[in-house]
Amino acid sequence: MKQTVYTIFVAFWACVLTILALDALTPSAQAGPDQSEKTSYTLDEVAEHDRLDDCWMAIEGKVYDFTDYIDQHPTPPALLEPWCGTEATEGMRTKGYGRDHSERAWQMAEQYLIGSLAEGE
Amino acid sequence: MKARNAHILVWAVAAVPPVLFLAMLDPAQMQSPGEILHAAGRLTGVAGLSLLLVAAIVSVRIPGFDRPFGGLTRLWRTHHLLGAWSLILLLLHPALLALAAADLSLSAAASTLLPPWSDLASWSGWLALVLMMGFLAPSFSFFGRPRYESWKRLHRLAGPAVALALLHNFWLSRGLPPWLDVALWSTLALLAVGAVAWRFVFSRRAGRLRYTVAEVRPVDNSVVELGLEPVGRALRHEAGNFVYLTLDDRELAAGRGEEHPYTLSSSPDEKRLRIAIKVLGDASRAVQFLRTGSRAHIEGPYGRFFLSPDRVERPELWVAGGIGVTPFLARMRHLAGRGESGNVCLVFCVQDPAREIFSDELRQLAERIEGFRLHTHYFYREGPLSMEYLASVCPDLGERDAYICGPRPLNELMRQHAAAAGIPASRIQSEEFELL
Repeated sequence: MKQTVYTIFVAFWACVLTILALDALTPSAQAGPDQSEKTSYTLDEVAEHDRLDDCWMAIEGKVYDFTDYIDQHPTPPALLEPWCGTEATEGMRTKGYGRDHSERAWQMAEQYLIGSLAEGE
Repeated sequence: MKARNAHILVWAVAAVPPVLFLAMLDPAQMQSPGEILHAAGRLTGVAGLSLLLVAAIVSVRIPGFDRPFGGLTRLWRTHHLLGAWSLILLLLHPALLALAAADLSLSAAASTLLPPWSDLASWSGWLALVLMMGFLAPSFSFFGRPRYESWKRLHRLAGPAVALALLHNFWLSRGLPPWLDVALWSTLALLAVGAVAWRFVFSRRAGRLRYTVAEVRPVDNSVVELGLEPVGRALRHEAGNFVYLTLDDRELAAGRGEEHPYTLSSSPDEKRLRIAIKVLGDASRAVQFLRTGSRAHIEGPYGRFFLSPDRVERPELWVAGGIGVTPFLARMRHLAGRGESGNVCLVFCVQDPAREIFSDELRQLAERIEGFRLHTHYFYREGPLSMEYLASVCPDLGERDAYICGPRPLNELMRQHAAAAGIPASRIQSEEFELL
């Protein structure tokens, strides 16, 4: 048992340090795509993208274009449609029944970030 | 309840949270490899915390609580295994979550491992894990063999580690309906806190009995036998039990005020408690020079070595290694004192005649107990205890209940011999005095 625990202890640090080292050695991964192009949008602009084939959402001050993600979402697209073109923080935080999306879902959303919500919105 | 079932029950309790988590898992959210890794990462977190809490619960040291589990040393073995699996699962937990995030991007994986400083929920989990690595490192000999007292001190970090792990869990847990989540973890957490509180608050005050050191008798140049006189209430115990002894001699060179486990070598019918102590470390070396009249505290009794300590109901085989003879000495004194007979075959394994402790008394007791046979096995002359030797001194080996107490290699060897002789595992009892 002692050897098993020690082996996993060493493997754990090897795994953690490998991921951190790879991340540190890959500068582009940190910069993220199209960072410079990000801009701010008003809720009116977001509201123009209110269809499943063109679906933007504003969540906690950020604007996302989820058009390419709709098909991958676990629930049927019809559940997402009402949120397209709207301020959808409530949907993201409650899933409609009081349960927040997972940390992983929040991280995944960052891939679809296109900008921020304009000040005062 | 059989001891084995009691241990299975402990594992079953620890399995409740992960099983509920699996039952509530939405298969629709496990479509990609990343999502499956993510669910596995969360599952290892739930299972690891559950095992950690149950390990804390079974570390409670209430006299008598250990009996259904076949004694405290067997309960510790389960505690040790629960701790080992908890650490393994909790190491896998962040690693799997990071690999799951790697499905999105490398930076997502890295930020899972090193989140922003404001993410206190994640950092509380990290701190708990680092503390766990710290307090469990000596238990699994990560950096060599630990000293008993420093291991014990370091093991106290388990308290803050458990508290931080619970905080992390209450912050982030989403796998169960909120009411069930709160009810489940609160119950386990309360039991764990209760176990620790008992150990460090109640048992220190109410669980310890006061004794005076009445006699310090040298047995040979590395073993003394203490005679302890009760100051108030005397300990009630069985032959083969062990206790935690705390010595309070101001002139003790080491180990003053520390508690150490020792087997009682006296019969339960004696007024005094007797404890034979061999030099194994600094504290036990200092005991060899203990003064009579100093104060001592006893906590116990623990363990359940002999199935019928007061009489010999079935033929028995006893195998003792060195200082491991103490529970057998206690039972021989007990049986002889009560005039009991017994079909017992005791094989006392020592290095050489110079280390044959209690030799005269053992011979006298063996003569007084009708049916008792004593054989001394000298390692330097006969090598490791062999099946042939056992068969020659104890021909009806397979018909006996086996009791083994000695260093780990002897215990393991003897367990193999006993199994090979056809003694079922349920009739082989062993007690180890090496705790780590």
